[in-house]
Amino acid sequence: MSKIKNHLDKKIWAYIDKLFSGVGATQQLFELKEELAVNIREKTADYRARGMDEEQALKEAIISMGDLSGLVDDMRQLGQDTAKQAVYSTMTARISTAGIVAGALLILFGVFVTAMQYLMGSSGVEVTGSAIFIVAGGALLTYSVLTRETSKRYAMNKIRAALYGISTGMLLFGFFTAAVTHFAVEEPFVPVASLMVFFLPGFGLLLFLLLTETGRRKQV
Amino acid sequence: MKAIISTDLIRGHTGTIILNVLRQGDSYGYEIYKKIIELSGNQYELKEATLYSAFRRLEQDGYIVSYWGDETQGGRRKYYRITAKGREFYEQTKKDWDFAKDILDKLIKGGLG
Repeated sequence: MSKIKNHLDKKIWAYIDKLFSGVGATQQLFELKEELAVNIREKTADYRARGMDEEQALKEAIISMGDLSGLVDDMRQLGQDTAKQAVYSTMTARISTAGIVAGALLILFGVFVTAMQYLMGSSGVEVTGSAIFIVAGGALLTYSVLTRETSKRYAMNKIRAALYGISTGMLLFGFFTAAVTHFAVEEPFVPVASLMVFFLPGFGLLLFLLLTETGRRKQV
Repeated sequence: MKAIISTDLIRGHTGTIILNVLRQGDSYGYEIYKKIIELSGNQYELKEATLYSAFRRLEQDGYIVSYWGDETQGGRRKYYRITAKGREFYEQTKKDWDFAKDILDKLIKGGLG
C-alpha cells in the first residue's frame, strides 16, 4: 500500500478508521480494512465514470455497501479473543521463524567459512568469495524478520518484505563483489565500479521502500 | 436496481452464490459483487456488507482461501479461490437446491385435490 495517498484515499481511510474505531486490533481487522478501502475506491471510480463528482461518488459508494455493523461486531469479537489470533498467525509465524533461523545460520556459516579460508592462508579471492553466504543470509533474514507479526507490529506483506530482502541483498552483494574484485583485478577503480552497480539500485530501492512505509504499529 | 428478493429468501444461499462465482475463476471482493449483479441479469444486488461476512464464514469453513494480489498502484486486492472442499459443497448444495425448488413450488402453488 502506497503512502502517497491522494485526497480521496484520505477520506476513504478516515471513514473506515471511524467505522472500526475502538475495535481491538487484529491481523484480520488490518486486512479487512484494506480490503474495504480498495473496494470503496474502485466503486467510487465506477460512479465517477458515470458522471458523478468525487464527493457524491464516494458518498454513494459508501451508502451502497450496505450495513457494515455486522462486520464491525465480528471484528470486535475477534479483537477480544486473543486465542483465535494466535491460531491465525501460527502458520506465518512458523515460516518466518524458519527463515530467521536459516538466515542467521547462513550468515554464521559465511563468517566461519571466510575465517577458515583466511586462516588457511587462501587467496584473497577465496576468502572474500566465501562471504557470499553472508549476502544470501542477510537477504533471507531481512525478509523473515519483516514478515513476522509481533505484539507491537503487524507482519509486513510478503511482496514488500521481499523487496526489502532484495535491496539488502543488493547492498551486501555490492560490498561482496567489491571485495572479490579488489583481489581479483589489478585496476583499483574496478571494485568501486562493481560496488556502485549493485549498491546504487539497492540503495535506491531501500530509500523508496522506507519513504513509502505505512504504519504497521498496533494500536494499544 | 431494485432488490426484489427478500433477505430471508436469499440469506441461506449467499455462500452458494459466491462459490458459483469462484468456481469459474479467482476473484476479489468488488469484482465478485459486480459478477453477482451480472449473474442476476442486473436484477439483484448482494450488498458488500453481506458479501464480506460471507467470505469470512466460507473461509472459516474451508470452502475458500484468500491471497493478496500484487497490485502496486493503490491498495492491494484480496483474492479468493475455491477449494476442493468448496467445490464438493457447491455440487451438493446445487443438488439439494434442485430438489427443494420442486418441493417448494408444489408446497406454495399446489392445489389439494
